[in-house]
Amino acid sequence: MLSSLFKVPEHPPNLPVEPGDFIASFHPSERYLSYLKLYFWILFVFIDVGLLIGWGALYSASQDLALWLALPFIILAIVPDIVAYVMIHLRYDTMWYVMTDRSLRCRRGIWIIFEHTITFENVQNVHVKRGPVQYFFDISTVVVETAGAETGGEGQSVGNQAIMEGLSNADEIREMIMSRVDMSKTAGLGDERIHAQNTTAWSVAEMDALREIRDAVRDL
Amino acid sequence: MSSSDPRTITRPDNSLLTYYTLVSLISLVFFPFVFIPLYVRFRTLRYRFDDDGVSMTWGLLFHKEVYLTYRRIQDIHVTRNLIERWMGLAKMPIQTASGTSGATMNIEGIRNPEPLRDFLYARMRGARADQGSEIHATAVGNDALTILTEIRDSLREIKQKGHNAP
Repeated sequence: MLSSLFKVPEHPPNLPVEPGDFIASFHPSERYLSYLKLYFWILFVFIDVGLLIGWGALYSASQDLALWLALPFIILAIVPDIVAYVMIHLRYDTMWYVMTDRSLRCRRGIWIIFEHTITFENVQNVHVKRGPVQYFFDISTVVVETAGAETGGEGQSVGNQAIMEGLSNADEIREMIMSRVDMSKTAGLGDERIHAQNTTAWSVAEMDALREIRDAVRDL
Repeated sequence: MSSSDPRTITRPDNSLLTYYTLVSLISLVFFPFVFIPLYVRFRTLRYRFDDDGVSMTWGLLFHKEVYLTYRRIQDIHVTRNLIERWMGLAKMPIQTASGTSGATMNIEGIRNPEPLRDFLYARMRGARADQGSEIHATAVGNDALTILTEIRDSLREIKQKGHNAP
């Protein structure tokens, strides 16, 4: 019901590939969900304990008022948590990464759905980031940068960074992308490939001439 | 408007104007100030997708035209907010390797952006094997080598025969 109201795309993102080519689409690691939930629980305990202390102070000051305000306090304590919890799951469920041999597509977002497509030919650098809490969960963030126009900051909507959060196999993915980047002969700035071999190759007319010489020699 | 062949796209979808109106309404009292520039933008927005690149023009008093070639595209984005999703619209910011912040070209008002995105993606560098002509060239080169070897062998045979005959 929610997904139809929010018009969430039903299918994972896709990339056009030649039949038989490698394609994989996946969510971040399950541990990323636990990582998000850890922050949720810390915030949950922090805010709700704060609210409880506040209510306790009010109770000692005026019992009647505190009892009247008990219900609003409970709503204030519970509703944002439920919303936040649902948002975490939605956030996780809407994060998709699609990789092929040639390109990467990331989708994320709940209110605004962002989809970012890049080809590995254009990748300038890849970095892997991991904070202390991420270290504990054994997940990393892989940021793939192209030479595209600047970002408006970390996690901005339309930058040159494809951010893959919560990966448990970040090193593998970095290696895969970098091997693709190494194979590329150009700077990834849209340069045309130089067809050097075309100039040294035989033209069709020259080939015909060669064949004639061969046949003439054979007939000698 | 048919979006089956992106090359036929010249105008944004009409529902873009509805979207602009909704966006302007959010600004309440500033509605006219927000809406009029957007209306002009909608009226004057033109796209042209040709074989090598895409151009986008808009503006009445301050006319602007952006042209970029498909091969130089670095990033293709598709962003859809909730209102746009309800209306079936999408924005497609496209980036090249220029230094300006923000998208180089912000294609707006596209219904069903997937065919257009696939169209652009297929023309981006690295989206498909580019080595076609090189492979062809080496194939021809190998043929030439074969023929040359055959000529050499034939000449050797002739030389052998010439030695043996007298």
